[in-house]
Amino acid sequence: MKKWGSVIVAAMLTLTLTVAGCANQGSSTGGADASEILVGVILPVTGNNATDGKDMQNAIEMAVKKINDSGGVVGKKLKVEVADDGCDPQMATTAANKLVSQNVVAVVGGYCSGATLPSSGVFKNANIPMIVPAANSAKLPAQGYDTLFLINGLTPDQAQTAADYMAANQAKKVVLIHDNSAYAKDLADFAKASVEKSGGTVIAYEAINPEEKDFSALVTKIKGLQPDATYFTGYYAAGGLMVKQFKQKGVSGLFFAGDGSFSEDVIKIAGADNAEGLLITATPTAEFIEGAEAFTSDYKQTYNNLAPGPFSALSYNAVNLLADAIGRANSTDRDAIKKAIKETKDFKALGQTISFNAQNTLDNSNFAVLKVTGGKFTLAK
Amino acid sequence: MDILVQTLADGLVIGAFYSLIALGYTMVFGIIKLLNFAHGDLYMLGAFVGYTLLSVLGGDSSGGGLMGILIVLLLTMVIVGVIGMGIERVAYRPLLLAPRLSILITAIGVSLFLENGSMIVWGAQYQVYPLQLSHDGISLLGAKITYVQIGLVFISALLMLGLHLFINRSLYGKAMRAIALDQTACHLMGIHVHKVIGLTFFIGASLAAGAGTMAGAYYGTVNFMMGFVIGLKAFTAAVLGGIGSIPGAMLGGLLLGMMETAGTFIFGGSWKDVVAFSLLIMILVLKPTGIMGEKVTERM
Repeated sequence: MKKWGSVIVAAMLTLTLTVAGCANQGSSTGGADASEILVGVILPVTGNNATDGKDMQNAIEMAVKKINDSGGVVGKKLKVEVADDGCDPQMATTAANKLVSQNVVAVVGGYCSGATLPSSGVFKNANIPMIVPAANSAKLPAQGYDTLFLINGLTPDQAQTAADYMAANQAKKVVLIHDNSAYAKDLADFAKASVEKSGGTVIAYEAINPEEKDFSALVTKIKGLQPDATYFTGYYAAGGLMVKQFKQKGVSGLFFAGDGSFSEDVIKIAGADNAEGLLITATPTAEFIEGAEAFTSDYKQTYNNLAPGPFSALSYNAVNLLADAIGRANSTDRDAIKKAIKETKDFKALGQTISFNAQNTLDNSNFAVLKVTGGKFTLAK
Repeated sequence: MDILVQTLADGLVIGAFYSLIALGYTMVFGIIKLLNFAHGDLYMLGAFVGYTLLSVLGGDSSGGGLMGILIVLLLTMVIVGVIGMGIERVAYRPLLLAPRLSILITAIGVSLFLENGSMIVWGAQYQVYPLQLSHDGISLLGAKITYVQIGLVFISALLMLGLHLFINRSLYGKAMRAIALDQTACHLMGIHVHKVIGLTFFIGASLAAGAGTMAGAYYGTVNFMMGFVIGLKAFTAAVLGGIGSIPGAMLGGLLLGMMETAGTFIFGGSWKDVVAFSLLIMILVLKPTGIMGEKVTERM
């Protein structure tokens, strides 16, 4: 019995080695030749987040095709090599190592922060520049990697966007409500700091249980405080109910919700009448970005009428930014590209103008305030 | 003053929902000593059945007429009541003489079955009720109370009054009370025990379903997990009032609702449950059988 077991294990090992060997051979023949620049893409293309990952991959391939059709960069064509991080730290490490062994020049990708933390380390060790279009945990820039660039706004940026809008509308007395999730509490804490910095006062800092439906006691309490603005940082299901109950009780002031509530469902749950005037801080999706109409229609045309996903425009921007940097570096040397990305100044992209600060995150965040008008989201500024 | 009245009114609405669900817990516990953990899910089922009926009957934003809503409410109560009876027949009756722990585990199984079954049928996302109720209302001492809130509390009170009369005045009510006292003796006296237990489940389930439909229409969203937290709260209300006691369940529900709103008002939203449950522990320390729970000790 035991003997048979070891024979089987040996047989399986041999088989695995053979297959792995074949795979290596396959990829090396598929690698870049002198006329191509190999760009690594690391995204979850399987698992729970595959939908968003696929949307991002589509946008990346679209950008690459467009660049190649207009002559490529420094006389060479871009070539994409996709690795699946499955939104999982272990898979991400394997995927990153695979890209390193394929000798990619630079990497675009990173959707889940949890998977991007380890993969960014692998690329740092190999000195490969990485542009991250989606993942936005504050832990990413905190690592201090000079190869890592984030083009999505971070949580403090979102809080600042809300505080700026409040200040611009003379909203001084602010109520903050979170739902006890780590994300929502973080955002509420940052919002408290931002509001106080811009001269406002937080008159109430509250939490709700998102499993419940009746927030009337809290709403009554807040009504008595007569706030100028209320900012709910949790998710859409509770957000929609909160909006509705605020309207029903006639609470004063503006109502803001964080990007967890950026969903058509928030309008459906609140009811279009109640949602009128609701403000959302979020990174706008392609359909709300001015000048992205061509991108949206191209995307739909290329991918069977599929609408772009929440991070498609950002992924598209990441590739264009990389191509621009390679062009400015006029070289495919990694150090030169890294330096060129770092020196990016006011790069015009869809919905954002990219410059990097000392942490290699956005100088001007891409967060915007969206307003519900006539049952639809529109840009408020 | 206006805030005090408003807080009381808010507590009354939440409390009415807790009471309606707590009644089912307490009736089932009183008659077969089972903590029916699937009870909160019957509330969820009621919300979904009401949602489906309203969608089919084409209720729209105009409200579909008050009569339409009331008919849907009654229909839902009957349908879910029958489902409640079915659960008792299939899952609990075969285990009636088994150790209490077996039937308790079965109840948890039924709860998971209902939650996941509903997820398969209606989907995992939040569904929005196909009607929007009006916000119109009256001003009472500066507090805004909507007609819908008044209607909710009124219907709840009517259902509870009906139940009270049924238990205390009707022959079946008498049978229920008798079975709660001594099941074996009732068998010997020729009372159809299983039929009466089935009826108890029917009433408990239909009250929860009524609460579910009203909550769905009032708050506007339904989801397959919506019965979980409120089920726990209603169970708490039943214990607070004295489990097994019907007036106790009504009182416990209202009291819990009031404590929560008062807790939110005085200490803030994140302290709501801490306040409510601290009071619960205090009451149980002082009076372990719950506020109106003497009858339980007699039965034990």
